[in-house]
Amino acid sequence: MLKVENLTKVYPNGTVALRDVSFEVEDGEFLAVIGLSGSGKSTLMRCINRLIEPTSGRIIWDGTDLTALSPAEMRKMRRQIGMVFQQFNLVKRSSVMTNVLAGRLGYVSPYQSLFNYFSSADHARALKNLERLGLQDKAYVRADSLSGGQQQRVGIARALMQEPKLILADEPVASLDPVLSHSILKYLEQMNKEDGITVLCSLHFLDLVHRYSTRAIGLKEGKIVFQGLPQEIDDTQFKTIFGQEAERVTIL
Amino acid sequence: MNPPSSHSQNALLAAVFSLCIPGAGQLYLRKRERGIGILVGALALAYLINWALANFQMEAIALWLWLVFALFWLWNVFDAYRLARGQTTYDRLGLLLAIVVIYAIGWQVTDINPDRLITRFKDVQVVFKALVYPDLFTQEGGSWRPSENFGDIIGKVVDRPAPDWLVQLGLAQKGALVPTPVLGKMAETVAIGLMATFLAIIFAIPLSFFAAHNIMSRVPGGTVIYYAMRTFLNVVRSVDTIIWGLIIVVWVGLGSFAGTLALTIHSIAALGKLYSEEVEHIDPGPIEAITATGANLLQVIRYAVIPQIVPPFLAYTLLRWDINMRMATVVGFVAGGGIGFFVVETIRKGGYEQYAAALWAVAIVIILVDYVSAKWRARILAGEVKVSAEAPKPFYASLRGLFWLVLGLAVFALCWQLSEIDLRKLLEPSPTFVKVVRDFVAIDLSPETFDTVLKQMLVTIFQALLATTLGGLAAVPFSFLAARNLMGGSALTLVVYYVARSVLNVLRSIEALLYVAIFVFWVGIGPFAGMLALAITTFALIGKLFSEAIENIDPGPTEAIAATGATGLQTIIYAILPQIIPPFVSYLIYQWDINIRIATIVGFAGGGGVGLLLNTYFSMLQYHKAGTVVAMIVVVVAAMDFASAKIRERMV
Repeated sequence: MLKVENLTKVYPNGTVALRDVSFEVEDGEFLAVIGLSGSGKSTLMRCINRLIEPTSGRIIWDGTDLTALSPAEMRKMRRQIGMVFQQFNLVKRSSVMTNVLAGRLGYVSPYQSLFNYFSSADHARALKNLERLGLQDKAYVRADSLSGGQQQRVGIARALMQEPKLILADEPVASLDPVLSHSILKYLEQMNKEDGITVLCSLHFLDLVHRYSTRAIGLKEGKIVFQGLPQEIDDTQFKTIFGQEAERVTIL
Repeated sequence: MNPPSSHSQNALLAAVFSLCIPGAGQLYLRKRERGIGILVGALALAYLINWALANFQMEAIALWLWLVFALFWLWNVFDAYRLARGQTTYDRLGLLLAIVVIYAIGWQVTDINPDRLITRFKDVQVVFKALVYPDLFTQEGGSWRPSENFGDIIGKVVDRPAPDWLVQLGLAQKGALVPTPVLGKMAETVAIGLMATFLAIIFAIPLSFFAAHNIMSRVPGGTVIYYAMRTFLNVVRSVDTIIWGLIIVVWVGLGSFAGTLALTIHSIAALGKLYSEEVEHIDPGPIEAITATGANLLQVIRYAVIPQIVPPFLAYTLLRWDINMRMATVVGFVAGGGIGFFVVETIRKGGYEQYAAALWAVAIVIILVDYVSAKWRARILAGEVKVSAEAPKPFYASLRGLFWLVLGLAVFALCWQLSEIDLRKLLEPSPTFVKVVRDFVAIDLSPETFDTVLKQMLVTIFQALLATTLGGLAAVPFSFLAARNLMGGSALTLVVYYVARSVLNVLRSIEALLYVAIFVFWVGIGPFAGMLALAITTFALIGKLFSEAIENIDPGPTEAIAATGATGLQTIIYAILPQIIPPFVSYLIYQWDINIRIATIVGFAGGGGVGLLLNTYFSMLQYHKAGTVVAMIVVVVAAMDFASAKIRERMV
């Protein structure tokens, strides 16, 4: 179970990205995080695996306070927390295989990995994950020769290599053609349902939230303004989260 | 602007201010930049005139100099007056007056004597004849064969006692003479350039990570290391390879090893800076992603940073290799080893045919290096995407990979031997070395030394200025002939284009230091000879850059002007010139910056300026004073670097 308690992040330039954010995520949930760009969604995601250091507050993951861990302990903990990014963040010039294997780095011997050595078990696991995402025939091409949707699937395969209990997906479909959104989110849903991986996913479109998430939280200017079931987001809720100017858009 | 009636009094006041102190009127009118510019300009001009009259024999033009200066002063009064009345100002007139003074002084200071070019032309014909008939082949009994000199430069086969391994293999008797290939000075030069690049990469890559802000900010205390490393690289880089050579020679003695080391040290700093900038410009996304998997810092560097930086690193390394090969041809002037050392020796003996042969050898090798490096760089930066469906084999598993590996190792071993690398020498510096370093750091700042050094430094700056002007002026018309888009019209013009390009390429492949010998023979030792040598390299480099700028112009306007029925000349004036003047000026300023660096070393071959002074101090063992010279060079080069970058930034 993930428990976020009174999380606050103030950047060195004075911007307050998160104000006193508290919420809980049960194991196996698909939690959607919604809000405008700049509302603190990305900061929240990155505070959970401490890619960004929170200013105050606690993050309890399976009873461990992540904010109290040393950098080395945090690295070990990150193995359980996969991450998927808006810009995919693949190493473009490396092969798909190397990108996927990189998800194993937290497990393998640091010295062997420096020479690009991974065990045959890891190779097999990588191929299995690629197959699961329909990319088995792309294993040895360069990552930048793939389309955006394919690159994001490589990103998910990389996260799966960590054998995570939690996946943080930061706007996983925002850089993709809308028609590809469902394909990517279906994969995430599959991981959530079949493997029981908890998913935290920030999304723009309400349709997608309704379709995929089991619960949602709404962020506005770093504060939680909504917590509840996706179906509970009515027009008033919508305007509180996205502002009076906002209009609903439908995607497919 | 301001109506003249209400401001005529204001204008008079401004004029009076400017009459008392140049620039004061402009400052009074709140034109701060202009006022300060005029004030600094006037002070600098007055100082220069005074300095030149005190140090050089130029009474003949003293009056004229002060007269132009007075005109500049008057222009400034006039300028303040017109500025106040809101009338158009004549900026170019003021600039012209300042330029007249600067060039008149430069002319005298660099000892320019055009008549010597004519009166002594007969003498230099020997050298030109040698250039056309270099000593590479001799005719013997009707057949041509490589001359003795060819063997010295390229290599030859001589009978030597058999080496042990040949005896042990049973292929030769102990002590028997077997034909052994002995490589010449040019091969040594290539080895020096290759080894220096190789060694520099090994050191520059790790150093560059310490000089990259995005990496060091992830490490506790990293910011301090970052600033220290950056400063270190900048200081090392601002000292020229040749000057490093002077210092290294004291450490490890004269020879190829000293040359290799000098090149290596300068390359480490230059590459380290370029590499670190490349590391700073990488995409942070993959770093974030790899960190999120639980990887440690080393793994993040291995999987997120290194794959991103390999292509730019390779490109910069190839560029550096090109530069190192050029520097390897001259480092021998001070450090011994390579073709530079050979040139010094042959000139001392007056062997101009041998010198000419060396120049041709250098030209061929450098043109080749230039071509390979440019082609390879273009291929890397194009970055083709290789698509294959199968797992790639490791490179050593394929026959081709194995071939390159073996060849690489063989070349490496040969270069190691030719560049006489002897790491033990590093640990056993000559006993004087410690004293030298101590003397060198405790620089002599007494007024006499400082004045002498400053005098030669100014000569060097003027040398560079005049060489840039002369070379640049000659390059302008020539660059049109070397521009493919203008010359591609007919077979005849195409021939002209190829000839022009070849002339530029050949001239460009030889370093200024190697040209100095010709001009020393022609016009005598001194700054004039150095200036002419610099002008030749400037002509070649600027000519290439200019012609490329012409080739890169937008064809649209040319078409439009030609469509109006304009003649060829009119098209050039109205469609091409407006497009190429900004890059031309920018290149010229950049070239002046480069020329100042090179001008600091032409003195080692008799080209005058601060290099001559440095050479003298070193040979007289006055290391305190040599330290002063080096410190002055570092400061001036850094200042010029900064100023030229700023000016070019504003122009673009």
